[in-house]
Amino acid sequence: MAVDVPLMAFLAGLAIATALAVRARSREGEAGTMTMLDSGLAFSVVGLLSSGWTYAIHNSILDSGDTTMCASEGLVQCGSVIGDPDWNNLFGIPWGITGLLSFSLLFFLFLSLRMDMHAKWADSFTTYSLLAGLAGVPFVIFLVFVELTQVEGAPHICPYCTIAHLSLIGFLVVAHLVRGRKQSGMWA
Amino acid sequence: MSRVQSMARRRRTAGPKGRDDEVRLTAALVTFALTSMILMAVMLLAPVVKVGPSEGELAPDFSAQSYSGGAWVNFRLSDLFNKSWEPEGDGDWIVVQYIDTDCPYCWSEGELMSQLHSQWGDEVTFVTVVVELGIQGHESNREEIEAFRDKTPYDGCKTNSDCADRPGDPHPWVYVDDLNEKTTGDWEIPGTPFTALLQPDGIVAWNPLQHENDGEGIETAIQRLVGGA
Repeated sequence: MAVDVPLMAFLAGLAIATALAVRARSREGEAGTMTMLDSGLAFSVVGLLSSGWTYAIHNSILDSGDTTMCASEGLVQCGSVIGDPDWNNLFGIPWGITGLLSFSLLFFLFLSLRMDMHAKWADSFTTYSLLAGLAGVPFVIFLVFVELTQVEGAPHICPYCTIAHLSLIGFLVVAHLVRGRKQSGMWA
Repeated sequence: MSRVQSMARRRRTAGPKGRDDEVRLTAALVTFALTSMILMAVMLLAPVVKVGPSEGELAPDFSAQSYSGGAWVNFRLSDLFNKSWEPEGDGDWIVVQYIDTDCPYCWSEGELMSQLHSQWGDEVTFVTVVVELGIQGHESNREEIEAFRDKTPYDGCKTNSDCADRPGDPHPWVYVDDLNEKTTGDWEIPGTPFTALLQPDGIVAWNPLQHENDGEGIETAIQRLVGGA
């Protein structure tokens, strides 16, 4: 079985982001908060890149009817998920674009906090980050449901879509921890 | 010191240290730059394909239940596309016709479609998508679709006519059930009948709405594009 290099790279990104979050939990004060924010940034960058990748797969399938960027047969594949005209878009917008826009917002919120964690809006930005992450959860649940039950030949699992979903969940956990630090006085 | 300067100084000393708007603007610019770079990389890897019903665009794909004389089975338009097709090369062109079985113009067009199929059936694949216009008396169902296609007795085509009386022959091609009008938005269907011609690779070659001024009809379009006349 050939090694899927992009998938391995995304998994490595998720592992780094998780390791940063674990490390941050054991560190107190500003250094711990900074590491936690780095973890959130890493999750959102992996989300951005995987969303971009799924959008490229979407375009590739439209263009040639198939793609070399992801398997198109078997349980774990993209063709039947991203290539399904009934489910591969949200009101005509490909899910990859939706993911790019969503992770951009998450990245912006955490980057702002990372650049100035003492700003007067830092408290509200930690809340916005958590709420924005939570807003994505119903979409993740819906898309997993679609993958497993609705697409042609279901169930299927789209690996790059799953990377994006895991990125969101990882970000959400970190956003929760970040907000907890802010409210418990462990911020700095 | 003015009152405004004094208030500004109090705010600076009382509030947390930070650079506020400047930081958020910088973060927004960095985010925009990163997202733009990812989008540019996507464009290089796999350029955007324009999807739509206009000539030169990739025809909107859909999947739905279809009837070809036997059981209703799943049908996907893009399964007909031959993506490796080159101009002047072999491959079936595709006629996509939208009808409502209760629409009198669709009823009349049954004969034209039979003629086109008998003339071009070897080079063109025909697909009829049946919708239900939101007009009183236009209620349809699968029995009516089957009877309209097969020209078999069923009271209800063209509102209250017998489907067996439809002009033309029985249609030996696939009829797709889109009574819920799931595809009409993507296809921008203004009404029925609507008949478009697709290249074998799925690119829209002829859309009647773009030929209202020159008066070209589907017969002439097929002759010109498929027949090379």
